[in-house]
Amino acid sequence: MSVLDDLFRRVPALLMARRNLSRNRIRSGLAVLGIIIGVLAIASLGMFGTTLRTGATQQLGDIGNEISVSPNFQEGIEELTERDVDEIRRAVTDGAVVPVRSESKLVSRGDRQTVTTVYGMENPGALYEAEQGRVPDRLRQGALVGSGTAGLLDVEPGNTISVDGRTYRVAAVLAEQQGISLVSPNNAVIVPIEDVNGTGYSQVVVSADSGQAANESAVAIREALNEREERVSVFELQSITAGINEFFGILNAFLIGIGSISLVVAGVSILNVMLMSTIERRQEIGVLRAVGVQRGDVIRMILAEAGLLGVAGGVIGAILAVGAGVALNAFVLNDPLATFQAANLLYIVLAVGFGVGTSVLSGLYPAWKAANERPVEALRK
Amino acid sequence: MNHIIELQRVWKRYDTGGEVVEALKDVDFHADPGEFVAVMGPSGSGKSTMLNVLGLLDTPTEGTVSLDGQDVTDLSDREMTVHRKRFIGFIFQSFHLIPTLSALENVEMPTLFGDDPTARDRATHLLERVGLGERLDHRPDQLSGGQKQRVAIARALINEPRILLADEPTGNLDRKTGRSVLDLFDEIRREDDVAVIAVTHDPQLGDYADRTVELIDGRIQ
Ligand SMILES: Nc1ncnc2c1ncn2[C@@H]1O[C@H](COP(=O)(O)OP(=O)(O)OP(=O)(O)O)[C@@H](O)[C@H]1O
Ligand SMILES: [Mg+2]
Repeated sequence: MSVLDDLFRRVPALLMARRNLSRNRIRSGLAVLGIIIGVLAIASLGMFGTTLRTGATQQLGDIGNEISVSPNFQEGIEELTERDVDEIRRAVTDGAVVPVRSESKLVSRGDRQTVTTVYGMENPGALYEAEQGRVPDRLRQGALVGSGTAGLLDVEPGNTISVDGRTYRVAAVLAEQQGISLVSPNNAVIVPIEDVNGTGYSQVVVSADSGQAANESAVAIREALNEREERVSVFELQSITAGINEFFGILNAFLIGIGSISLVVAGVSILNVMLMSTIERRQEIGVLRAVGVQRGDVIRMILAEAGLLGVAGGVIGAILAVGAGVALNAFVLNDPLATFQAANLLYIVLAVGFGVGTSVLSGLYPAWKAANERPVEALRK
Repeated sequence: MNHIIELQRVWKRYDTGGEVVEALKDVDFHADPGEFVAVMGPSGSGKSTMLNVLGLLDTPTEGTVSLDGQDVTDLSDREMTVHRKRFIGFIFQSFHLIPTLSALENVEMPTLFGDDPTARDRATHLLERVGLGERLDHRPDQLSGGQKQRVAIARALINEPRILLADEPTGNLDRKTGRSVLDLFDEIRREDDVAVIAVTHDPQLGDYADRTVELIDGRIQ
């Protein structure tokens, strides 16, 4: 309390402002409520955007790290050759290169059967993890079964399945892949590459260590393979992530724009409150001026009032917004702590700043009006 | 020539849309330190207008205002405010205390905006002097009319003014309370050498005044 007293002694405008606001608590409270709603709207809509983005990014997983190289059908190239793969291997400095052959085949176990995509891969370990069993570095024998197919056929590691009449021991059931993937294993079976007919490859997946490495690899592959003719098309999932990020940027700006409208409304209500209270206090302000208080001090006093309303609304709004963010993230992402990240902090600071700014701005006109009234006029009854 | 305040040939006209009201007509007036001047006259005769001009709240249409020998007729708002703070204490008929501030804070109020470390002590001392040493933390609505006027007097004295201007200071007080306020004025002008100029309808004020000036229809009689 003495710290506050000290502050009030040093900044008399604050003392006067504080007393004036406590004069009509309901009115001040309602003005603060307006700011609270505005700040809450901006901050929580901003954080809502962050949550959506985080959720979407989680859905997308690591796909930004993968690129897919496929033959350019428009140029009449139907498959990638061994030479192409070698060139890709040379172009990629940082990541695993997984050539893929694929076919649709009948897969069965006992009396259950299904037609699924069968991928031939030499090194599926670079792309997939096992749910049960083990994914070998080099797949020479046996099969890996995607989680969906495994459920359908009711297989687990150690069982045997038959793929177009050929029998495989199941080495692993693959972990279900969330989100988008270039070569989704969920409803597929993966067998050694020699077992799928053909000499070339339908696509080559490059799994890099980072999005940036993926991008560099893509550039290098285009340079190496497409120099003379457009042999391959290179698909970077990163372009999707970039697009998604851009989309969420726009969405966020839009949400914050909506929130700002409520703050503008709050600003108008503060303008109204301040105008009313300065009109009511006309005589008092006249007395202040008569006993030697300068115009500037009157302006400071009224701006301090508006500022206090803004700060009170901003702080309460920010606290409520954090609460809303925690609830939202707990609900949507199952991770309440996701609220506490830099982007959200920015939104809160932004919202509080807007709140205080709007209040002070709304106080300008009433302050100017009160300060410019001649004390003689104000003192006349 | 040691007038603390002086009006020379002051005119004040109000232009009220076509009709011009002459509130002060060629007024010459002065007051000396320690002098108690009563200004009397019928309603609408220009008493408050004259007090406002004396108090640098209003500027005359014509003529000059001198404060402590200095011409202060055409000062800027800022300079007028500075001079008001330095030279002049105001006392109003309806007290005009700030309802949200305590008695002590009301007395300190003219010093609030500005660095004045001894203000609180002076304010306490002044309230003791006007007999309100026990009421420092009371709000105006917890004080009687006479007590409010005493707080207002203490407030008027906080910056050690040379002139006290009072517009019907006893107008809202009963006879007895009015008398005690007038006694206080008398004490102040004797002890502090302050010029007291009071507008009044109160006949008992005549007993205290050194001099009574009569205004009728904007002219000094
Ligand atoms: N701002 C103004 N605009 C127009 N006319 C004014 C204004 N102020 C004062 N007057 C006029 O000037 C004249 C003098 O007014 P003033 O208030 O000085 O009278 P007064 O002697 O103090 O009267 P009272 O005893 O009723 O307080 C009146 O006729 C009044 O109508
Ligand atoms: Mg009057």
